Amino acid sequence: MKKMLSMALALAMCLSLAACGSGSQSGSSSAAGSSSASQSGGSQSAGSASSQGEQEDTIADVQAVKDQGTLYVGITNFAPLDYKEEGSDEWIGFDADMAKLFAESLGVAVEFQEITWDYKVQELESKTIDCVWNGMTLTDEVLAAMGTSEPYCTNYQTLVFPADKAADFEGLTSLEGLNIAVESGSAGEKAAQELGATTVPVQSQANTLMEVASGTSDAAVIDVLMAAEMTGEGTSYANLAYSLNLNDLRAEESEFYGVGFRKGSDLVDAFNQFWAEKVADGTVLEVATTYGLQDAVVLD
Amino acid sequence: MIEFFQSSVTQTVLTALNKGFVVTLELFFVTLIGALPLGLVIAFGSMNRWAPLARLTRWVLFRRGQEPGRMARMLIAFRPISLVTRFLVWIVRGTPLILQIIALFYVPGLVLEGGNPWPRGEVGRMAAVCVAFIINYAFYFSEIYRGGIQGVPAGQSEAGLVLGMTKGQIFFKVTLLQMVKRIVPPMSNEIITLVKDTSLARAIALQEVIWAAESFMKGNQGISGLWWPLMFTAVYYLAFSAIVTMVLGRLEKKLDYFQV
Repeated sequence: MKKMLSMALALAMCLSLAACGSGSQSGSSSAAGSSSASQSGGSQSAGSASSQGEQEDTIADVQAVKDQGTLYVGITNFAPLDYKEEGSDEWIGFDADMAKLFAESLGVAVEFQEITWDYKVQELESKTIDCVWNGMTLTDEVLAAMGTSEPYCTNYQTLVFPADKAADFEGLTSLEGLNIAVESGSAGEKAAQELGATTVPVQSQANTLMEVASGTSDAAVIDVLMAAEMTGEGTSYANLAYSLNLNDLRAEESEFYGVGFRKGSDLVDAFNQFWAEKVADGTVLEVATTYGLQDAVVLD
Repeated sequence: MIEFFQSSVTQTVLTALNKGFVVTLELFFVTLIGALPLGLVIAFGSMNRWAPLARLTRWVLFRRGQEPGRMARMLIAFRPISLVTRFLVWIVRGTPLILQIIALFYVPGLVLEGGNPWPRGEVGRMAAVCVAFIINYAFYFSEIYRGGIQGVPAGQSEAGLVLGMTKGQIFFKVTLLQMVKRIVPPMSNEIITLVKDTSLARAIALQEVIWAAESFMKGNQGISGLWWPLMFTAVYYLAFSAIVTMVLGRLEKKLDYFQV
């Protein structure tokens, strides 16, 4: 009995030693790779390793997109940036139209992929999409997790409330004691928290409007672009109104929208170049005007 | 009422919901087709009696003329295939399906050298969700199968032996047949649950019927702030589970001819 036990132990030890061996081997090789990369490939033998190191710095996404023949754009349904008109199956909007032009400039087709907003970074990193182009506010978190374009649109957070209670909300300087619906993880959530509100995080900005309309929350904090598009007369939320620039209120600068790519992707440069060209020839302003964004778009 | 159904908004919403429900149905049937046979394989795994050390241990005991002690009994009962399968059953049944879907879709692309293995676009999401559902449901089914097979009295297969049937004949013509009859009610439970669990697929933005309905809350095709589409999806689920219940009820009746 003891013999068998000792044999089993010996076998286990052999296996664990073998695992250690292979582990340290891979560890040392990767260390060598990175150190030779930092020397920027002096000797010939380090040549291949250094090119590996450079790949980590910039990802050759432009070529990858061209190879696959399609640019996959991660979006959510968000008028007036990415949306469908009644009875139509085509994505339109300021962001959608510009994305089509960008894909055209790369010489590839474009496909819009609806995503769950909370997973936008994972979608990019796991390469299920190539960019996030959907009125994404350039927050610190976004800047840290993605390769982002130059800002192309300005935005601030605003307060949406029932129009018949407008007197209670206009001119507020703090949101203390109010139940404020916000999109989970959004810039609006941060703004509401900083102003002392009790936040009700929901799945999307549009759901925050449902909260206010049904009276389950007192008010909502969302992007002004969205508030302008979705509230007031002629919209489905005719009895909601918005006012207050919550960015001014917190002495914060306006927010900017940007397009997100994988960190280190060379699509960022390709995009910035494309955008500068389209600003110069007036296309950006033209498309922005179509969707009523001529004041918000960044043209310098 | 008729006006309501004729209005263009309703038409748009219903078209979108129908499209979403087709996705729901696809997922439902693919899961069943995949999980029903896979579950049987897993059931065999967890019932596997292969014990590589049993014979050796008994031989050693015999040579030494000892009675089996605690250690020896453990070695005799060591069944690796069964152990591994039951471990997997624990993992799959012990974690939320929504977590399995998210992990299966995002993690390979994050850790694999070659990048995301799923096809791009909606097809890839569907594939990932199908795999997650098939695995999850197969493990649940396997336990139901196991219960069904082990619930058939030993006398039944003994009777088969007496009649000179082969092992295969006994399993397929005696055990499996009686097992099918026994498992219909618990399987019906799982299958009805599956109808509704399909809605979890929207975690990775698969555009099934709930996703389609929710899109009208936040704005889709110029319609926003509608909450009735979400409530209306209940009609789809209820209608479909009524059909499933009926089919399963018939199956139960059909299998009623023999009683054990």
